[in-house]
Amino acid sequence: MNVLEYLRDNLVYLDGGMGTLLQKRGLLPGELPERWNVSHPEVIVEIQKAYFDAGSNIVCTNTFGANSLKFERDELETLIRAAVENARRAKEASAGCQEKFIALDIGPMGKLLKPYGDFDFEDAVKVYAETVRIGASCGVDLIFIETMNDSYDTKAALLAAKENCDLPVFVSNAYGEDGKLMTGADPAAMTAMLEGMHADAIGANCSLGPKQLSAVVEEYLKYASVPVLLKPNAGLPRSEDGRTVYDVLPEEFSEDMEEYIRRGVRIAGGCCGTTPEYIAALTERTRGLQPREVTGKNFTVISSYTHAVMFQDSPVLIGERINPTGKKRFKEALRNRDIGYILGEGLTQQEKGAHVLDVNVGLPEIDEAEMLETVCFELQAIIDLPLQIDTTNAAAMERALRRYNGKAMINSVNGKEEVMREIFPLVQKYGGLVVCLTLDEEGIPDSAERRVEIARKIIDTAAEYGIEKKDLIFDTLAMTVSADNRAALATLQALRAIRHDLGCHTSLGVSNVSFGLPSREIITASFFTLALENGLSAAIMNPNSAEMMKSYYAFRALHGLDENCADYIENIERYAAAPGTGVQPGGGFGQSGTGGSQPGAVGGQPGTGAGQPVGGSGQTGKGSGPGGGQSGPEGSQPGDGSGQIGTGNGQTAVQSGLQRAIVKGLREQAAELTAQLLETEAPLDIVNTQIIPALDIVGQGFEKKTMYLPQLLMSAEASQCAFEQIKKRMSRDSSEQVSRGKFVIATVQGDIHDIGKNIVKLILENYGFDVCDLGRDVPPEKVLEAVTEQQAPLVGLSALMTTTVPAMEATIKLLKEKAPWAKTVVGGAVLTQEYADKIGADYYAKDAMATVRYAMRVTGGEEET
Amino acid sequence: MAENTVFVRNYAGAEGLFPVNEREVWRYSGFRGTQDQVAGELKKVFGQVQEELKDAFSYKVCFRRMPVVWEEEIARLPFGSDSRDLRRCLEGSSEIVIFAATVGLAVDRYIAKYQKFQPTKALLMQAYGAERVERLCELFCGEIRREAAEEGLKCTPRYSPGFGDLPLTVQRDVFRLLECDRKIGISLNESLLMTPSKSVTAVFGLGKDVKRGQL
Repeated sequence: MNVLEYLRDNLVYLDGGMGTLLQKRGLLPGELPERWNVSHPEVIVEIQKAYFDAGSNIVCTNTFGANSLKFERDELETLIRAAVENARRAKEASAGCQEKFIALDIGPMGKLLKPYGDFDFEDAVKVYAETVRIGASCGVDLIFIETMNDSYDTKAALLAAKENCDLPVFVSNAYGEDGKLMTGADPAAMTAMLEGMHADAIGANCSLGPKQLSAVVEEYLKYASVPVLLKPNAGLPRSEDGRTVYDVLPEEFSEDMEEYIRRGVRIAGGCCGTTPEYIAALTERTRGLQPREVTGKNFTVISSYTHAVMFQDSPVLIGERINPTGKKRFKEALRNRDIGYILGEGLTQQEKGAHVLDVNVGLPEIDEAEMLETVCFELQAIIDLPLQIDTTNAAAMERALRRYNGKAMINSVNGKEEVMREIFPLVQKYGGLVVCLTLDEEGIPDSAERRVEIARKIIDTAAEYGIEKKDLIFDTLAMTVSADNRAALATLQALRAIRHDLGCHTSLGVSNVSFGLPSREIITASFFTLALENGLSAAIMNPNSAEMMKSYYAFRALHGLDENCADYIENIERYAAAPGTGVQPGGGFGQSGTGGSQPGAVGGQPGTGAGQPVGGSGQTGKGSGPGGGQSGPEGSQPGDGSGQIGTGNGQTAVQSGLQRAIVKGLREQAAELTAQLLETEAPLDIVNTQIIPALDIVGQGFEKKTMYLPQLLMSAEASQCAFEQIKKRMSRDSSEQVSRGKFVIATVQGDIHDIGKNIVKLILENYGFDVCDLGRDVPPEKVLEAVTEQQAPLVGLSALMTTTVPAMEATIKLLKEKAPWAKTVVGGAVLTQEYADKIGADYYAKDAMATVRYAMRVTGGEEET
Repeated sequence: MAENTVFVRNYAGAEGLFPVNEREVWRYSGFRGTQDQVAGELKKVFGQVQEELKDAFSYKVCFRRMPVVWEEEIARLPFGSDSRDLRRCLEGSSEIVIFAATVGLAVDRYIAKYQKFQPTKALLMQAYGAERVERLCELFCGEIRREAAEEGLKCTPRYSPGFGDLPLTVQRDVFRLLECDRKIGISLNESLLMTPSKSVTAVFGLGKDVKRGQL
């Protein structure tokens, strides 16, 4: 009988702690316990036999840390083989007559994955794969992935297990007191991801005692459709007379576990601090209990690396803005690999209230698969919303799904046989909630009935792949009502039938409906409300549209989904006040939550005492001013205190409003003043007469140490907001170019620190350089490729660690050889002039301003002062 | 004390015990002006940073206490290093405490998010996080100092890998001994840097007659 068959009708008992017992037998601090499989096999066998004797059905091999990061390949194989052999001997030696199984134990490899760590997801899959292959070849009964404290790492391990064996896989995570994994995921999110990838049992182990895991177990039992496992610690360790004792004893432990089993836990054991005594107490107390049946839960759910989003009565808003269709600026960003712009679109939508982000980066002239993978990855580095991966390219879909940290939404399949055959296997492997468009080989049917028919066909085909109805969400296709005045009706009718007759969730791209009509927003928003009333579960929409957001909150309030209308009251004002679409002033993301601009800030309030030079008036050097410019309340009037600004340099005594806004780091004001100036002045003139001089004031203040890094950055941000306005205008006119020249920048291979690099990039952009940012941990070849492709005259390389300076040297060497025209600037914490000379760099820049000065010299810009 | 166990202390909700030292935050941010100069926008941004990070810190420490055997002048330490500076720091100790402290990963996420869009905020978050983990270390060391005093022991100052002639490679030993990844979720990368970035590892001595007292 295999373990899953046994599990069907029985409670399954796991073993207890291993590490704590080995320490008692003399395992030294820091010694790798897996080596004891070979050096002390009798100890391992004895402990494992004791667990079988105590009634464990499953004993885990002593292979928690057996992976290729800790051991050389040969030793790894030897240790795993010995570990399985030890467990087998224990199983044979035990007189216990229960069903017995051996699980290959896999713990976290101890490396944090990118983007926060430096270890690549695919490399992690390889590490786990090796352990799985060796273990499976030794004939274990199942794979037990445990103590995982990061969802991405868990995905890597589960994927490795699924790709390298056909054994059942149990997955157990370690939760903190806050009920979350170390990197933020909650049980609902883990359940969504792990069930999507077909883990056979899921649950929690380690970190806490049974009582503290109560809330976590509750969540698992609520959401999981597979058996739930629990393997807590014997409480917390403390020191008593030089011995370590755990504060939950076998009696109490088994009592607590009994309660959990009664609530539905099906697989039970212990972790740190538990011993065969605990397991014996557990099995004795609970042996006679009738196991609770495992029931399939009917949740339609997706997840990110922190939380799950459920499709229930309250509508789910899917932000549609990450999509190049009809957006010139977005297309330009894609072509230039301006990932920052795309991320900005994501952040703005998050701020406006989207629950999910649709991600579409398809453009004929770019490598969509690569771009989609990159954008999803970068979005997940900074935004915790689940993503809806939107592409017609199956290869791109697979790459993005594989890397996705969580359970994604998949956009989309339709009734076409070919499309389903392409996408469903991906869903089967990686999990996901699939958007199903009700069209087929013959196009979009006019009638609602035909659309429902197509939906039925999709449901049947999905079933062949083991994909349940709850993982399908139907889009009945909103058509343009101005072209066919019955279009909206058919959509709504089909929607209602699918939601209520077929019992499936629904989604619509609502914006289409109003195409070609004046005052589109009211049509779209009304249609949205109608669709919600007809059973719409989710809408792909523009969260920047105030009308849509108002409808959303109103619907929830009217439908009993918003207790005391609290959400409505809290949120409606910010939309009610907003003048329709596109409320964000210039900078896009970052206007701190409330959205909309603050009108009063423009034009300068009469701030008394503004611009008072704080920091010792009369001091020499203070005349460079920025220090003084910082001190006053925002919106100081021109002319007053700021008259002093720059006098020390003989520069223009009176700053314009825009200059002052930039010097003071006022983002919104800088954006608005730029927008105003653009009414009358040419973009390039604004750059040259306003922005650059303002930056110079700050730059010089920084160089003279009257201003400091935080202030330099504030100004850079403000000018960035001004630039964004200018770029917007320029991409509309697409006439002149502002670029002073190309500048390729990267943090070198092996180094993941990019704070300094990002600052340099920002300041360079401010000065009009066209910066191609390759990111961090960039191999020399990639730098060369970018420099060659763009014929860039300048390359900036950054390194924080002494250990990565050789990589910098290698990059420079390669560039000198293959791209001799490019000048290399280096910087970073460990670098000195001497170092820079030694590795052959053209220039050592001690800070961002030094880089700018040098870059201007090279490109023949104005000389520095 | 049980030398074979790594203990964890969790300071969730204990922020009150180590209030923010703003001066330190500004120092870490690279701001060298007088406090009065921290005005206007900058002050406002720091206010936002504090508000946003209100619930972001997850203060945790893991540590273990181990004996030190002195042979002549040489302390036998569980590290692959014979750092003279560390030895000098530990002089007179009969035991050491090795610890790792972190404020958690959430602040790194915020930093990553703002780096691209509001680098000033990211910078101040960096500084704030650094200040937080320092305060945490002080709090933890203070606790151990009081506990040790009950046993009639004094503590030396703490010493971290990377200080003086104690190489950063010692981080590998520290991580092996403390199982930081499992216990409190710190991991060590190839460059020997820690994630979460706002983490500290250090060692200090305990003894009846330590030469240098904790500050």
